[in-house]
Amino acid sequence: MSDKVSGNELANGLTCSINGGVQSIPASPSKTLLTLLRDDFALTGTKRSCDIGRCGACMVLIDGKPFNSCLTMAYQCCGKQITTIEGLSAGGIGSIQQAFLEEGGFQCGYCTPGMIISVKALLDDNPDPSDDEIAEALSGNLCRCTGYGGIWRAVKRAIELIGCQ
Amino acid sequence: MLLNRSGSGGRWRIRPDGPDKVTGALAYLTDMTSEDMLYGLVLRSEHPHAVILAIYTDKAKQLPGVHAVLTYLDVPGLNAFGIAHPDQPVFCEDRARYIGDAIAAVAAESPAIAQQALQLIEVEYEPLQVIDDPEQALLADAPQLHPNGNALHRTTFCKGNTEEGFKQCTYIIEETYYTPRQMHTYMETEGGLFVPEENGRLTVYSPTQHGFMDRLQLSRILAVPQSDIRIVSSPIGGSFGGKDELNVQPYGALLAVRTGRAVKMHNSRRESVRAGLKRHPMKIYMKTGTDAAGKLLAHEVSLLADTGPYSTLGAEVLNFAAEHAIGPYRYEHLDVKGVSVFTNNGMSGEFRGFGGNQSIFALEGQMDRLAERLGMEPWDFRRLNLRKADDPGPFDQPIAMTEGAERVWEAIAKCPLWQERKAMKQLEQFAREPWIKTGIGAAITMHGAGLGVGIPDPAGGRLLLADDGKIEAVFGYEEFGQGLIASLEQMLIEQFGIADGDIRIIIGDTDVVPDSGSTTASRATAMMWKSLQRLRAPFTGQMLERASSIIGFPAGQLRLSEGGIRKIGADELLLTFKELANAEGVPIRCETAFNFPTSATDRVGAHFMYTYSAVAVMVELNTLSGRVRVLQQYHAVAAGPVVNPQGYLGQIEGGSSMALGFTLTEEAVMEKGHYMTRNLDTYLIPTIADQRGTVEVEPIEHLPEDDEYGPRGIGEVGSVTLAPAIAAAIRQASGKWVNRLPVDPGSLQETPFFLNRAVSEG
Repeated sequence: MSDKVSGNELANGLTCSINGGVQSIPASPSKTLLTLLRDDFALTGTKRSCDIGRCGACMVLIDGKPFNSCLTMAYQCCGKQITTIEGLSAGGIGSIQQAFLEEGGFQCGYCTPGMIISVKALLDDNPDPSDDEIAEALSGNLCRCTGYGGIWRAVKRAIELIGCQ
Repeated sequence: MLLNRSGSGGRWRIRPDGPDKVTGALAYLTDMTSEDMLYGLVLRSEHPHAVILAIYTDKAKQLPGVHAVLTYLDVPGLNAFGIAHPDQPVFCEDRARYIGDAIAAVAAESPAIAQQALQLIEVEYEPLQVIDDPEQALLADAPQLHPNGNALHRTTFCKGNTEEGFKQCTYIIEETYYTPRQMHTYMETEGGLFVPEENGRLTVYSPTQHGFMDRLQLSRILAVPQSDIRIVSSPIGGSFGGKDELNVQPYGALLAVRTGRAVKMHNSRRESVRAGLKRHPMKIYMKTGTDAAGKLLAHEVSLLADTGPYSTLGAEVLNFAAEHAIGPYRYEHLDVKGVSVFTNNGMSGEFRGFGGNQSIFALEGQMDRLAERLGMEPWDFRRLNLRKADDPGPFDQPIAMTEGAERVWEAIAKCPLWQERKAMKQLEQFAREPWIKTGIGAAITMHGAGLGVGIPDPAGGRLLLADDGKIEAVFGYEEFGQGLIASLEQMLIEQFGIADGDIRIIIGDTDVVPDSGSTTASRATAMMWKSLQRLRAPFTGQMLERASSIIGFPAGQLRLSEGGIRKIGADELLLTFKELANAEGVPIRCETAFNFPTSATDRVGAHFMYTYSAVAVMVELNTLSGRVRVLQQYHAVAAGPVVNPQGYLGQIEGGSSMALGFTLTEEAVMEKGHYMTRNLDTYLIPTIADQRGTVEVEPIEHLPEDDEYGPRGIGEVGSVTLAPAIAAAIRQASGKWVNRLPVDPGSLQETPFFLNRAVSEG
């Protein structure tokens, strides 16, 4: 690799962990994390929908906290651990996902990865949340299909499943 | 019995498309990419109404990385689309009629270059007077938007003589109702991948609700035979009617054909709002009268729908609204008129409920107002005038007979929530704060399924035994989240005795599926059920005959079962499906084609099959903020047998959530033909925090013994009855009638009593 190329990488690059794998990425200052994940890493489980941080379809975990990746610039992720829905699924279907399957917590499925990321962040932080805390944690994830009935049931079921582990 | 997981037992199943959805593994069509693909974007009109004097594309074409810039000059075939009447230009030639009208499209090597190219296209406009109000559009001196004037469609239905009828009435209610421009807000915006194949064909990977209709429309635009186009159209991240009409497909297809390269398109949310369909805003005048005892005598309706610049299915929506403005009641005198009007506002078109949502809000509002005028319980008043099982339909047309209307009425009368209404005075005493008011209201409807009389409405499907031993079910339907695949799998398991592992479902690909008609109008599940009824005997017969020829037992002693063929009453697997598939003989394959049943009437759009629903709700009104919260919902739905319990519950819950938004928060606001609400920061759909109340669903499965039509559609009915029930509950809570949606909190605010006192004491 020539000095020139590595110089460019230093200027525009970042190093972060995506789903456990450390990546050195050339990323322009204007690139969002959402674009990086979907277009450069083909991690299309993270969805694009409103692009202004209102719908939560692009939610990912950064160091365990939920963030809208459409509002996160790639360069802000330097040294961070990013987990997408693919990362959550690497070990198979987890308790939260199982709960969504059992209770019908999805229909078209387009909001589902972001929704599951937000539930994961909530339950990692608070394994027994109140209804107020659930509503607060998921109010940034829009679902147009379910009317949230299945999502309420899925979150309650996930709390049970995780509690039994 | 209420529909839920525990009560459904083994019939509550995990959806076959579920695992890929919860793991993010499912590739939506807008997730697809192709090596060396280009990115397509569309330039849309700057003005809601303008003459286009000139379009200059040279600078854009010269930008490095740009591979095509197309205008109307580059459309080889018909420069127009529209399911019912193709009057929407692919590219405007000399006039733009709305803010979403397409002027040009570009394909470039990156989205940024494509965006830059759009900015380099120069368009000279001469702005014209913007017609942003349908009443203004109908004035004699209004500029004409189309050769036949500004009325897209007029409809009338009369019987008896309303003028005479009203003379006989003791009580008459007149009211005008207004409903909003609601946005579908599917989470996946429009898009897809358009791939020119080496053999000269074009493959279109893009969501739609009727692949064959897209194929037909694109073949007209591209001027190529339909057989040169393949439409792959599922899975879909939500549609609700909004992706029924073409959206990005003409542009993706033209750009791909021109450049010879794959082209990806994916609308931004703002683009989706700007160009996409919405629910027709309607102004509905109703005058309804009864005799002294409360019997409905006369009903006059005038519907005014803002259909926007082009037709799509605006006429059909108006016909539907007219039918549902009559609804499940009997009148001696009827005079229903409607007009759907072209304007320079956004495109209105097909949307879950299809015009029923607007009419039912108005009609049920009339029923509540009349009941109050009469001093009757609103539910008793409805019963007095409700249709009987063997009454004809709203247009006096023959319909498939069920007791649905009476049974959903009865379910609400008996439900705990309605019982509680009778004890409301006591309830008030327990209100937490004096500015919190509660109310309970209810509404009832019948909602038509299928496209109706006079519109081609084909149905059908195919079953076959594939070489690998899978039983393939092949249908031309689409999965946009409603659970179509899950329902089909469940019917195959339950009706054929086979297991999920024996089944392969193939949908949404015009190269391999038969034309089963559209996945719209609450029709697909009913049509799959009917198809399987028709296929079951011949397909099972072929399978068992083949098995009989191999294993020697008479076919009459054999059955299909998990994994293969067993003797009736025995567990031992005699032959696997794989072995059956490998046996010699003509391929095992059955196909059926028929039409959605229609009424024996010449009234265009009249329906034959109906789903009945009634809803009771409890709301809580904060009179300080004017905000309404829905605390409890009880839905009774009479739609025949429950095919898929999880899907059924999900459709009613989801439909009612859409209705909650329609009632309380959703409106795509336009000013002078421009959208003021351009994204989800100002267009407010319900969040989980708005859906903390309970939603109970009581399915009524009863059908007459000789019914041959089976399950009725439930895809839309959950979205049409909630709004008037909430309005009735608000009336009880506040003493105020709601006639305009979404409900304006300002209209429900009250000065707190303690402020009044402070002022008077001061």
